Amino acid sequence: MININKEEAGYLLVNVNLTEANLSHSDQFKNEVIALLNEKQRSIWLNMEQVNYVDSSFLGALVAALKHAISLKRDVVLINLQKDIDDMLKLIRLDKVFKIYSTEQDAQQATI
Amino acid sequence: MAGISKHILLVDDNPLFLKLLARAFEKAGFKCHTVNSGSEALQYLKTNAPDAILSDYEMPEMNGLEFRRNVLTKDRLKDIPFMFLTGFDDEKVRYSGLDLQAIDYVIKDTPAEVIIAKVNNLLHAVNKQRELSEIEIRQTVAALNIKAVPEKVPIIAGLTIDFWHQDYQQIPGGDFIDFIEADDRYLFIVLGDIMGKKWKAWFYTFTYLSYIRAAVRFSVSDTDNSTASILQKINKVIYHDEGLRDILSSVSLIRVDKQNGQLNYAGAGDLPLLHYHTATQQLTPVDSSGLLLGLLPDGNYTEQTINLNKGDELFIFTDGLIDFAFGDGKKSDYQAFAVKLQQHIADKQSFTKLKDKLQQQSAQLVDDSSIICIQKNNLTHDQH
Repeated sequence: MININKEEAGYLLVNVNLTEANLSHSDQFKNEVIALLNEKQRSIWLNMEQVNYVDSSFLGALVAALKHAISLKRDVVLINLQKDIDDMLKLIRLDKVFKIYSTEQDAQQATI
Repeated sequence: MAGISKHILLVDDNPLFLKLLARAFEKAGFKCHTVNSGSEALQYLKTNAPDAILSDYEMPEMNGLEFRRNVLTKDRLKDIPFMFLTGFDDEKVRYSGLDLQAIDYVIKDTPAEVIIAKVNNLLHAVNKQRELSEIEIRQTVAALNIKAVPEKVPIIAGLTIDFWHQDYQQIPGGDFIDFIEADDRYLFIVLGDIMGKKWKAWFYTFTYLSYIRAAVRFSVSDTDNSTASILQKINKVIYHDEGLRDILSSVSLIRVDKQNGQLNYAGAGDLPLLHYHTATQQLTPVDSSGLLLGLLPDGNYTEQTINLNKGDELFIFTDGLIDFAFGDGKKSDYQAFAVKLQQHIADKQSFTKLKDKLQQQSAQLVDDSSIICIQKNNLTHDQH
């Protein structure tokens, strides 16, 4: 479901290998991201390039992962979001909670 | 099986057998995915959840038992009906398979039609069991008489309030609606959506509704009528409630002043409302600033007044209405919903007609869906 694309000193770049991210993936996704946060003690940058649709269960999993990251003083950053999902996050103000960048380079410039 | 074709995962290290079996299943109307090993199957299952898995027992590297054990460790996959294909009638295999909750096993020499019939029977039995469990829960819920959606709409001079709600696949979900008559003057309209689907989300709607009802009543009795401060109170309690950890909800909260028909609104992670202005014949979004309930200790809620002129309508709705089936997948499109709604109103269609239309299209919905409409009547307050 997710795999580490790159390990950097300040973050892990993690691919989300789903096209439709929904209820059937949300628990496993949340557990995998939380396990990575605990194990690597680094912020996670989720590459969402492949994801065409997220339902509210999966959004809940993303937020749960973010809350866990914050408790560890880390972050969950979203990059390469498709337009529909980016629009959806803005509509419900999740763009105020997640750091969202178009590319990994943009995220590097803004956060490092 | 009637309806949508069932999706089967076939696992076998013999490519020829796999090909023949897949062909027979496809002919019988199944969708098949074939893999040659347990590890390939696990890779595939990371992003897919078939309706049933048929696996060879004897395979090099990872044998069928190891594969099955691995599947059983994953909550998302462990309840998928699993059937072993064995090369011989070995009682030991049969017993170890049963120990691993394999629902059936088939000897490979069995004609393909018989294997297909077995899978059909298996899926039918699983479906039947699922239906029975759901009927049982539904009956319990009906006996408890608890509802997340009211049966009646409030009657208020000068305004017409109505709503439509549809559960996803007839199973109650995370949407909830309430009309709270706080005192003689104020009515509060609540539309919420717990993140998640079906029973799991539905279960939490009552905890949320209890908090919201309590917060509204406590606030009004303390003469604090602000929708923003009510949402912040609810947010604080939910944020600190261990029982609601990771259970987030959007809420639109509207206070109606029954004396003058004035509306005040604050939102928590909800979709922008849509306000139809009769004068300009345009729909405009009404944005709010607040975050989902339970997300952060301070949800940044703000209150705004919404002025409805005669004939104006205000629509409050959940995300089920903006999700559409699209090609092979789904997409969320707020704008597309707004355009459809605008068209509906431009055609001089009423909210009752909209409800009929939504009802007719409800089979295509991909989540539970709710919409509330508040219309300012053309008669003035005094005339009404």
